[in-house]
Amino acid sequence: MTELSHSELGGFIADRVEIGVFAVDADFKLTLWNRFMATHSRHSAVDVLGQNLFDVFPELPRAWLERKVRQVQALRNYAFTSWTQRPYLFRFDHNRPITGGVDAMRQNCTFLPVKNAAGEVIQVCVTVQDVTDTAIAHEELAASMAEVEREKAEQRKLIGELAQAQNQVLQSEKLASIGQLAAGVAHEINNPIGFVNSNLGTLASYVDELMVVLDAYTGAHDQLPEDLKAAIDAKIKGVDLDYLREDLVSLVTESRDGLDRVKDIVQDLKDFSRMGESEAAWADLHHCLDTTLNVVANEIKYKAEVVKHYGELPEVECVASQLNQVFMNLMVNGAQAIAERGTITITTGTEGEQVFVAVRDTGAGIPPDVLKRIFDPFYTTKPVGTGTGLGLSVSYSIIERHGGRIVVDSKPGEGTEFKIWLPIRYPAAASAAA
Amino acid sequence: MSTALFSEDQRDALQELTNIGMGQAGASVAAVLGEFVMLSVPRILVLKPNLIPPALGRIVGPEKVTAVRQGFHGDLRGEAVVVYGVAHCRELADLMGYDEALDEATERELLLDVSNVLVGACLGGLAEQINAEMGFSAPSLMATEVEVASLLDVQRMDSPCALFVEVNFSLEKRSFACHLIMLLPEDQILVLRDAIDRFLASL
Ligand SMILES: Nc1ncnc2c1ncn2[C@@H]1O[C@H](COP(=O)(O)OP(=O)(O)OP(=O)(O)O)[C@@H](O)[C@H]1O
Ligand SMILES: [Mg+2]
Repeated sequence: MTELSHSELGGFIADRVEIGVFAVDADFKLTLWNRFMATHSRHSAVDVLGQNLFDVFPELPRAWLERKVRQVQALRNYAFTSWTQRPYLFRFDHNRPITGGVDAMRQNCTFLPVKNAAGEVIQVCVTVQDVTDTAIAHEELAASMAEVEREKAEQRKLIGELAQAQNQVLQSEKLASIGQLAAGVAHEINNPIGFVNSNLGTLASYVDELMVVLDAYTGAHDQLPEDLKAAIDAKIKGVDLDYLREDLVSLVTESRDGLDRVKDIVQDLKDFSRMGESEAAWADLHHCLDTTLNVVANEIKYKAEVVKHYGELPEVECVASQLNQVFMNLMVNGAQAIAERGTITITTGTEGEQVFVAVRDTGAGIPPDVLKRIFDPFYTTKPVGTGTGLGLSVSYSIIERHGGRIVVDSKPGEGTEFKIWLPIRYPAAASAAA
Repeated sequence: MSTALFSEDQRDALQELTNIGMGQAGASVAAVLGEFVMLSVPRILVLKPNLIPPALGRIVGPEKVTAVRQGFHGDLRGEAVVVYGVAHCRELADLMGYDEALDEATERELLLDVSNVLVGACLGGLAEQINAEMGFSAPSLMATEVEVASLLDVQRMDSPCALFVEVNFSLEKRSFACHLIMLLPEDQILVLRDAIDRFLASL
């Protein structure tokens, strides 16, 4: 048994190591080609040594490889390639003919300068390391990461939908309780209004009759004995009877007017709430707007003058109580945006197959960063306790359910316009009819 | 900032050695890139780890960066980081003579390649001056388009201090620039100091 010399050992290892090793001289003639290279390329060392690398492997990226080798020669230093950027240098079969996973062996390559005694680079040696397993593991990891990311995105979407749904529940509860309250108040007021109204009717006819009697007495006044006449004259002066007679009549008339207004408001409250209603029906939007205006008159009147530009509108199939809710929110928002005094203009009309209602205010306007979020549930710029931030998000979903759309146009410092488009027919009804 | 690990003389010598090393590096990088390369005079600091990110920030400015790291081993062991401003990153393709728009993989390969050239040249130059044998591991992408401050995780550095050598590259005819930082852990600073002593003694 003979010992191996150190260089024999080195040569043996370079040849047998499970890493590709080859070398080229300055002209790209192959000077070294180990077994790994031979088995994988199916070109034996005898066949390729002394040959030009690019003649044997015309498919190699020549320009790139030349640049790389020149770089090693010029800098007398290492250079590298990684499978992450360049999957392989040589297209070799991978070690997974059965389990598969990639098209070809993934390779990391190192280019090392081979120097002579004077330190000049005379050849460039390249090692080719099979990193297919790492690459596959890496790619599987990346794929499952992507899967996790996708699931996370889906969850975020679900959470969003959940919040949306919860918001709708909240809002319909809010609507229902407003409706209940309004209907309850309307009912309670109706009874006393009823008897005040009928009493006032009776009162008016009593006053008329009293006046007739008083007229008769006035006609007999001059025939009274002097002393009685003087006493009665003093009484008449004391109460200013002429004024009293006049005022009595107008007081009664005014009271009846007032009562009529109370009756209207009660009716508006009832119309507005239309308890429990969620079925679409044909409605006159102008009537809806007027009713709503009456309900919110108190909130608005100190802030804004309301100007109506009503156009011609056909009846629209809609859930009126819900649209009232939208109109109310837009009007109240408009009034709240006005600092001192301003105008709220309500414009209606038709555009093609659709009707529109626009509510414009001369308020503060909405800065761009706020504008992006106004339809978000719970987004409010108003002090705690003032706004819930639900108004617009609910309005949005109501309009959406009606198959319409709502857009906003705002100039900070000048004012804001919300414009709603609605189809004439309610979407569900339309599809049922079709 | 302390340079107490080095005497005045040692520091001057180190400065001088890196200078010469960089000069040679400039020449060989120019040979590869085909452009005249300007290198700043290296700045040498000994820094505690938590001062490294601010030092990087000072060099690069507020711009987002992409960085490549490369380890070196042998007589000297440490890491080199090459930091590119995001805008300059895109000039690389042009610089390396690619005409077409590059896909991401090619662009990254290019980035690694240029970093390898710069690190190899600069550290090789220095190693030659102090007669040290040095090998390099493959460069890898540290981070793409991040804030400089988030580049290094100082929590993970176990060396109490590091030698921070900063070289700035720019090209004569282009606006391209990048920064190379060589980081040596404390025990390696001592090795370097001995090497400098040997060098001084040999004068
Ligand atoms: N006409 C408007 N002018 C200026 N800003 C408005 C106008 N309408 C809405 N906004 C802004 O949009 C935000 C959201 O409005 P939204 O109606 O959804 O909630 P809110 O009015 O704050 O509270 P809520 O309506 O529940 O009482 C408001 O806080 C306000 O900042
Ligand atoms: Mg509101």
